[in-house]
Amino acid sequence: MKQNRKGNSLSRAFVALMGSEKRQSITIPLFAICLSLIAGAVLMMILGKDPIIGYKSLLQGCGLLMKKNYAGGKGLLTDFMSYLDIWTPMIFAALAVAVAYKAGLFNIGVSGQMLIGGFIASITVGYSDLPAVIAKPLVIVICMVIGALAGSFIGLLKYKFNINEVVSAIMLNYIFQYIISFFILTFFVNPITRQSNPVGENARLTLQNVQIAGMKTVIPLGFVLAIIAVVVMHYFINHTRIGFELKAVGANKKAATYAGVNANKNIMLAMAISGALAGLAGATYYLGYLSSIQPKVLASTGFDSIAVCLLGNSNPIGIVASSFLVTIISKGSMYMNSSVGLPQEIASLITGLMLLFAACGVYIRARPKRTKDRLDQQDRLEAAERKDSASEEGKEDDR
Amino acid sequence: MSDIIVNGMSFSLPLFIIAVGGIYSERSGVTNLALEGFLGAGAFFGAVFTALTAGMFAATSQLPMYLSMVVAMAGGALYAVIHAVLCIKFKANQVISGVVVNILAMALTDFLTSQINAGVLGQSSDKFVLNVSTRLTFQPLASLPVIGGFFTNVYPFEFIIIAVAVVAWYAMYKTRFGMRLRACGDNPYAVDAAGCNVARIQFIAVMVSGALSGLGGMCFAYSVFGNFSTSIYTGYGYLAIAAMIFGNWKIPATLGACLLFGFARAAGYSLIQYLGLPGAYSDLIMILPYVLTLLLLMFFSKNNRAPRALGEIYDKGKR
Repeated sequence: MKQNRKGNSLSRAFVALMGSEKRQSITIPLFAICLSLIAGAVLMMILGKDPIIGYKSLLQGCGLLMKKNYAGGKGLLTDFMSYLDIWTPMIFAALAVAVAYKAGLFNIGVSGQMLIGGFIASITVGYSDLPAVIAKPLVIVICMVIGALAGSFIGLLKYKFNINEVVSAIMLNYIFQYIISFFILTFFVNPITRQSNPVGENARLTLQNVQIAGMKTVIPLGFVLAIIAVVVMHYFINHTRIGFELKAVGANKKAATYAGVNANKNIMLAMAISGALAGLAGATYYLGYLSSIQPKVLASTGFDSIAVCLLGNSNPIGIVASSFLVTIISKGSMYMNSSVGLPQEIASLITGLMLLFAACGVYIRARPKRTKDRLDQQDRLEAAERKDSASEEGKEDDR
Repeated sequence: MSDIIVNGMSFSLPLFIIAVGGIYSERSGVTNLALEGFLGAGAFFGAVFTALTAGMFAATSQLPMYLSMVVAMAGGALYAVIHAVLCIKFKANQVISGVVVNILAMALTDFLTSQINAGVLGQSSDKFVLNVSTRLTFQPLASLPVIGGFFTNVYPFEFIIIAVAVVAWYAMYKTRFGMRLRACGDNPYAVDAAGCNVARIQFIAVMVSGALSGLGGMCFAYSVFGNFSTSIYTGYGYLAIAAMIFGNWKIPATLGACLLFGFARAAGYSLIQYLGLPGAYSDLIMILPYVLTLLLLMFFSKNNRAPRALGEIYDKGKR
């Protein structure tokens, strides 16, 4: 009996912690994050390193904590700006996954859409002599259009030919990867780096070597765009009719069709928007953070963005928070490796675990409710029992 | 010509056994996009086994290869438990679970490979090098004109795969368990009403799927790559899914699809060699199976009939 009470108080604490169903959209991702960070800490301890120092070095690598010493002309701002630089494509990519997910689609082709957008913008505008004022907006437009085309092609295959979007997106990822690798190696290769020739400074969305307060730093122009995109997508999903239709199709396609929503049109639209956002991610990645394309490699941003989207509950505001965290882990892992000596692979492992725990969300969501129901019932029974024993005082308890 | 047959068969058969794994899982009603992760995890376990026991066998012994395939099957089944628990016990979205399992497999095996290399074997490397597999040539069949290629330079694992595939076919179509498994994919509630444990059948199906994918992954590691590293994740798992859909979730038809993929790829490579084109052109050949998949799916997926309850989360109380 005593054992049971102790278990009860634990369950009660669990229910109180996870909160009501409304609060759970925040508490469940937090729960997943905490679990994976603890798992990461255990791993670091197994490898014989202090996890606090390990996690601290992640923050230091991103310019969120002061390092012990800096090389000349560099400082906290340098690290922080380059952190913003790599954070930007992650926000776009996660938004791309989220929009598709709202419509019940799973866009795993973000990496491929990033690549084809970035490649076409590189060879058209990146290698031209256009003035920066024209070149930079042109890069953004081209990437969006190409990404949207690639995305809506997946949507077309989905509703015209009934092909699972995950399979077709993966096939397209490989097709883009190899075709672009062929073109780069045959026409645009830089003989020294074995990558594509770097794009001109006029087309790059990140300003290089800017001096601020005596520190050399980069300025990611795309970051402003990313914040705008977050606000626009938030408004679009929650406050417009088209956004509502998208969500209706995602929640129940049959019911939405019955209510007069054109499901096929919405599938195409969601994939086009998703592709355009992925294209923006490609622009800020290949013509911002980087300046060239490595053949036969897909950006891991596209796959990490799935984790970001799931953690952020596919909500644009949530995505800002979750991408902030995931980017710290992936970007900071380089400094963690060099300063603490922990292997860099640990970062992708922590992200993978986060994804795993986030995928258990449905179960975790059902759990507090069930526990709460059980506790409520138990309370009622106990109250009834007490009443019984009070009224039947004197009689022997036959249990 | 004989080259095309040799390379085509050694690519098609591992792909086929992975696809059979996919069929097991999907016919039981559990969507399986996790084949890629299963094959990588299985091959990882097999490769770790060979790396750790390397000193115990003679250098030319073929025994470790056969043992590693058994280990790979066990490891694949073990890793598949994650997908099974997520989908069946935790009732997670099966598509998401599959993708998560793949990403986790990549991160986990990458991390463990370098850790085991550094910690146990004392070398810094991100791969396990495997022994070269022997290849068998059967005279006088090999000197027959066209079909001689089927008996030249055959990997021993091809026979293992054929044997396992026959057993898998028999178990699915001729046994009571197989019938129940297929019924789970179409109407789990009827299976439940007949007094069977749906969750247990699905759990076993996913684990079988992991075991078969592990075997296929190990064969790929021996034939295509010659080592285990994260380069094993080149989308063959997804290719197997495409073959399965193209084969209409039936084992014999899926074999046809896999042979088509394998021979298209082998023919492409032979063509490049024959024309003497530079290496970059092999990238164009690499896309052949993928393009073929998309085209074939476009023509055939309309008429396909997926298992009726595929991807539905089975809830006993819903009936």
